[in-house]
Amino acid sequence: MKRHLLPLFLLPLLLASCGRFGNKEAGTDHAERIVCIAKQYNEIIYALHAEQDLVAVDLSSTYPPAIKTLPTVGYHRALSAEGILSMKPTLIIHDNNVGPEAVMRQLTDLKIPMKVFDAKGEDLTGTQALISEMGAYFHREKQADSLNHKLEADMNKAIEARPKTLRATKVVIIHYGRASDVYLTLTKNSFGAKLIEWAGGEVPVGGDRGMMQLSAELIGHSDPDVILLTDFGYDRLGSPEQIKTLPGVAGTKAAKNGKIYRVEEHDMVYMGPRTGEIVMKLQQLIHQ
Amino acid sequence: MQRPWLTDRIVLSTLVILLLVVWVLSLRFGAIAISGSDILLSIRQHILQEESDLTGRIFFDIRFPRALECLVVGASLAMSGVLMQALFRNPIVEPGLIGTSSGAAFGASIYFVLGATLHFPPGEWGLPVAACTGGTVATLLVFVLSRNRQSGKSSVISLLLTGIAINALFLSGVGFSSYIARDPQARSITFWNLGTLSGASWSSVTVISITTILCALAALRHTRQLNALMMGEEEARLLGVDIRRLQWTVMGINVLLVAVATAFVGVISFVGLIVPHLLRMTRGSDNRFLLISSALLGAIVVTLADLVARLVLAPAELPIGVVLSLVGVPVFIVLLRRTQTYF
Repeated sequence: MKRHLLPLFLLPLLLASCGRFGNKEAGTDHAERIVCIAKQYNEIIYALHAEQDLVAVDLSSTYPPAIKTLPTVGYHRALSAEGILSMKPTLIIHDNNVGPEAVMRQLTDLKIPMKVFDAKGEDLTGTQALISEMGAYFHREKQADSLNHKLEADMNKAIEARPKTLRATKVVIIHYGRASDVYLTLTKNSFGAKLIEWAGGEVPVGGDRGMMQLSAELIGHSDPDVILLTDFGYDRLGSPEQIKTLPGVAGTKAAKNGKIYRVEEHDMVYMGPRTGEIVMKLQQLIHQ
Repeated sequence: MQRPWLTDRIVLSTLVILLLVVWVLSLRFGAIAISGSDILLSIRQHILQEESDLTGRIFFDIRFPRALECLVVGASLAMSGVLMQALFRNPIVEPGLIGTSSGAAFGASIYFVLGATLHFPPGEWGLPVAACTGGTVATLLVFVLSRNRQSGKSSVISLLLTGIAINALFLSGVGFSSYIARDPQARSITFWNLGTLSGASWSSVTVISITTILCALAALRHTRQLNALMMGEEEARLLGVDIRRLQWTVMGINVLLVAVATAFVGVISFVGLIVPHLLRMTRGSDNRFLLISSALLGAIVVTLADLVARLVLAPAELPIGVVLSLVGVPVFIVLLRRTQTYF
């Protein structure tokens, strides 16, 4: 009996030692100690080479790979004031998508300086404005300008290279990982759909929210030319052959023509300095 | 398997000592190391109304109210478990069974979904009020719907069955809210349903403490009647117990205990089920003893679980519901298999 129960007792320890939770802070001196709880901001901070004062990030910040060596203060909607404060932050940067409310109130009451950037970064102009604003904040104006120029040039190149066909390629993007073969799918209203549109495709799934759970029947009915699975689901299933057997997916053109590909989730959910490059990569994927 | 040498006094004194030890550990340890002298300095500065440094403020504004909230929430949920198990004369009953927790969860999920959709600024009390209202409405529904049409009375069995049905109804409401919610809202609902004490404040501690103390005093007045009820409804009636009144009172106390605690910390299950069981293994089913000792052990269990939740993934934090189930279930099963004591 005791033998069987031992693993259960050890589960919390295993959890603590896995993934990004075990990271300890490197012994670097910091002029400022920044905890940044926003994946889009974090990618821009790294792109600006302003990461030297970053001491912790949230769990959803996964790009660039170097960010995974930093301690994480947990999921951005389930923060703990003490956890954040244990990093001795002199500044907390967030994008207002943080919680619980009570914890944010605790941090405000303790007068910990917080920064939310004004620019929203939801489209090309907004993202360029955000990069400029962050560049000015971190005194990296030159770097920000060069990122903005590159982003604009990449976007122009991608849009020019877009195939001029009458019919756009139908692309379904799935976050697979849910039970019962219900697929969490990006809709026309998502940022991912915008990327696909720039890449010369279209997302056939309507909806007023960015993501929707679709049944296998609806996936089959949408009959996409290409199916993109985000990293977690793709890696879990292991190979395109496995994915082809999923209900709903099996009968689609994408499955028949072997056009099922893996994409990184963090590439598909927010706009950043690499968006132009990502659009070009998507173009190659969906039109090859 | 009771031990004659294990008197009420020994059990209660042991629990008090354990509680003090665990509580001091909870004050001392967390994501931030706060030394004993820092703690004393912070308390002194607050008493003398002197300006304190950041560590002092973290201790007094975050750690201290949180440690206190662990005590009152644990006591509330465990006492509620004793009351429900005694009222239903059933060891598998837990406080959530008459709809209070699921109602509170539904109220909270509505708050998360509608609050963001309608853009109303609900303020600090929005979530607790929504959860408390949900819990109260669900429990009232159980009460009203379980009443027999002819006699106007509710039997224990019909209360239990109606409770199960209403729970299912409200949990499907939570499921529906999660389904229509946007991703951040859905995540908020999930995390709230796993419970956390990270949002503890002096105002929430005050509200839960007042409710817990008043309910504990009220519950202690009914322990003799609950002891009589354990022999059966008819027997209790013959001993002069007004069953219907007792049901209303105990249910009322239970709603207050669970709805108020849940409203501030989210759904914390398991405490109300295991704590009374563990104590029944030591001294049997006298409800007066169970109520007092469960309040102490409930406080110990929640304080310990919160400490683990804070330390295991520091600086991140685990939801307390996860810790309670991961650690509590194996401990409970081991004890259950060793003692074979059920009710």
